[in-house]
Amino acid sequence: MGSRWIWRLVALPGVVWLSVFFLVAFYAILAVAFGNQDTLSQPVPHWNPLDWNVGYVLDMLDNFFSGGPFWTVSLRTVEFVAIAVALSLLIGYPVAYFTARHAGGWKGAILLALILPLWINYLMRMLAWINLLAPEGIGSDLLHQLGIEDVFLSIGLLDEPGGWLNGQPITVILALLYGYLPFFILPLFVAIDRIDRRQIDAARDLGASPASAFLRVTLPLSVPGILAGSVLIALPMFGDYYTADLVSASTQTNMIGNQIDEFMRQGSEKVTGAALTLLLSAFLLVLMFYYLRTTRRAGTTAQTT
Amino acid sequence: MQKPTGPGGLPLPRTDNSVTWAITDENKPVKDGASAEPGPLRIYNYADYLDPATLKRFQKEFSTKIEVATYNSSDEAIAKLSSGAVDFDLIVGLSGSNIVDLIAHKLLLPLNHSYLPNLEKNVWPELADPFYDRGARYTIPYVVWMDGIGWRNDDVKENVAAMDVPWDIFWHAQAYRGKVGILDDRRDALSMPMQRDAMRKGIRPDLNSEDEDVVNKAESDLSELSSICNPKVTITDYQTLPEGKTVLHHSWSGDLLSAAFYYLPKGVKPDVLSFWGPDQNGVVQNDFFAIGRTSKRPVLAHEFINFMLDEKTAYANFVNFTGYTPPQKGIDAETLLKQGLIPKTLQEAVVRPDQFGANQELLQLSVTGQRFWDDAWSKFKAG
Repeated sequence: MGSRWIWRLVALPGVVWLSVFFLVAFYAILAVAFGNQDTLSQPVPHWNPLDWNVGYVLDMLDNFFSGGPFWTVSLRTVEFVAIAVALSLLIGYPVAYFTARHAGGWKGAILLALILPLWINYLMRMLAWINLLAPEGIGSDLLHQLGIEDVFLSIGLLDEPGGWLNGQPITVILALLYGYLPFFILPLFVAIDRIDRRQIDAARDLGASPASAFLRVTLPLSVPGILAGSVLIALPMFGDYYTADLVSASTQTNMIGNQIDEFMRQGSEKVTGAALTLLLSAFLLVLMFYYLRTTRRAGTTAQTT
Repeated sequence: MQKPTGPGGLPLPRTDNSVTWAITDENKPVKDGASAEPGPLRIYNYADYLDPATLKRFQKEFSTKIEVATYNSSDEAIAKLSSGAVDFDLIVGLSGSNIVDLIAHKLLLPLNHSYLPNLEKNVWPELADPFYDRGARYTIPYVVWMDGIGWRNDDVKENVAAMDVPWDIFWHAQAYRGKVGILDDRRDALSMPMQRDAMRKGIRPDLNSEDEDVVNKAESDLSELSSICNPKVTITDYQTLPEGKTVLHHSWSGDLLSAAFYYLPKGVKPDVLSFWGPDQNGVVQNDFFAIGRTSKRPVLAHEFINFMLDEKTAYANFVNFTGYTPPQKGIDAETLLKQGLIPKTLQEAVVRPDQFGANQELLQLSVTGQRFWDDAWSKFKAG
């Protein structure tokens, strides 16, 4: 009995921290979104749920479901994030796999190299890309000389030679990929590293080819890592606005985060901004539940097999 | 038709509807002849909008201290000031587009002109008694600017200034695709196609329109630009034009001058930058000084304003730092040209007093009117 109380006390600081910095903040957004605004266009939060005014949220939903601007940016955001996550998987999986299984004594060094970019502020790294990708920048020169630019031009992902910063969706996607990739690789590395080698050996002993052992043992067992990495990068990408702002600034690449930023920091429609934040949160909540369900199922399958 | 009213039911000042804001018993100006309070003078200013060397000189001459806090948009400033969370002696950089908010929220202390002899002595008479604040009871002009077109004349082939409707250049900018910029400000940006439209028809636009159709038309015109030249929506032209990352930009006049003063890379001459601004029916704006209602150092704040209205100070602050024109009788483009400070191509970036009467200030709208502009802007920004 006594020890149970001690453990509860240990959890207390975390619970308080989360309550204050998450629940209260989230409730404040609810109160603003379901609130009103005064004649000076400042939001008036309605703290009591009985007083909630659904007008702004309904307006926002109407705009969204009737294919208005909110629909356009949401769709674009999903598209950008989905491609960036898919590319992360394509590039990140081999890196994580190699580091976990074949890096040997280099494992530590490779992990360090993966974390190293995070040593420099995200904003600074994006600003650096602006100079690298500028028409006469070293980066765009290199892409030109390696023929990569031609490939992008020929499949229509780039408007004109050297035009990487001319409001190109591909630049925003690649910038997101670059910015968040380490966060994808690290949990995936841990998942692959934890896989019991004997299971793979068993598969091989039972006659599986290396490819088949990978597809039927390693890959399924690394699914929780893939999901964790995907969720870890998708969530912040959905709310990201400065990446698109820095490497493009065109209205054609604005994401939902840019719209929220616009409403919250400028103009007279902070309540709409809060409503839009709720829409994004609701969508992310669905993703999170899917993640939790899948990982739980993966956990039970792993135990029963 | 009844005139729309602003926040709190207050009148919306227009050139044909000038407003004298009341001075009430519970909010009176400071008495004459008081001596300045000890510092620090707490200033709330738009980011990078006062020359640090000028501030240093004030601190030295008046043996006091200055603390500056900054904001990045007028909306942010109004929200913070009206929440009561911040408390400043001097508010710098807001304009006629916020005046009604400031008065309605009771954020300003009325001024005592006996501390401000430089106002009448140096400032353009047009602005010493503005229509949005008759008698300059609450606000004193700081700098003026206008919306125009900034371009790299070594990249852009067209002679923009000589076009019948220079604004048309943005709709013919296919050749500069991706290197075109539009000001990231709803009022400035949406009023640009309104000006173009009016200029083509030879009529005078209402850049403070509360007509939903007019605002929506401006949005759809502006959105056409996406397929024509995919413009960036930014306010970083003072950097991107001199660096050549953009070659054609919807710009604030002051940014072209600061571009020429500071941001040119080595080997690039200032005369590659050009600026055009309309003589009439365009956008001009006047950012002002005001004293915070709860200021504990109102006399010192008056002294600072008067110091900034001194011609030498205003000049130094202009050419050494901001690039935004002080509305001073003794400062004009010819003088700057003669001194070799600016090239002829940027002459128009120095705002003239006659442009003030013939152009329009972007002024505070009614809550409904504002909503039209905000919705149109959000639609444009969604792409």
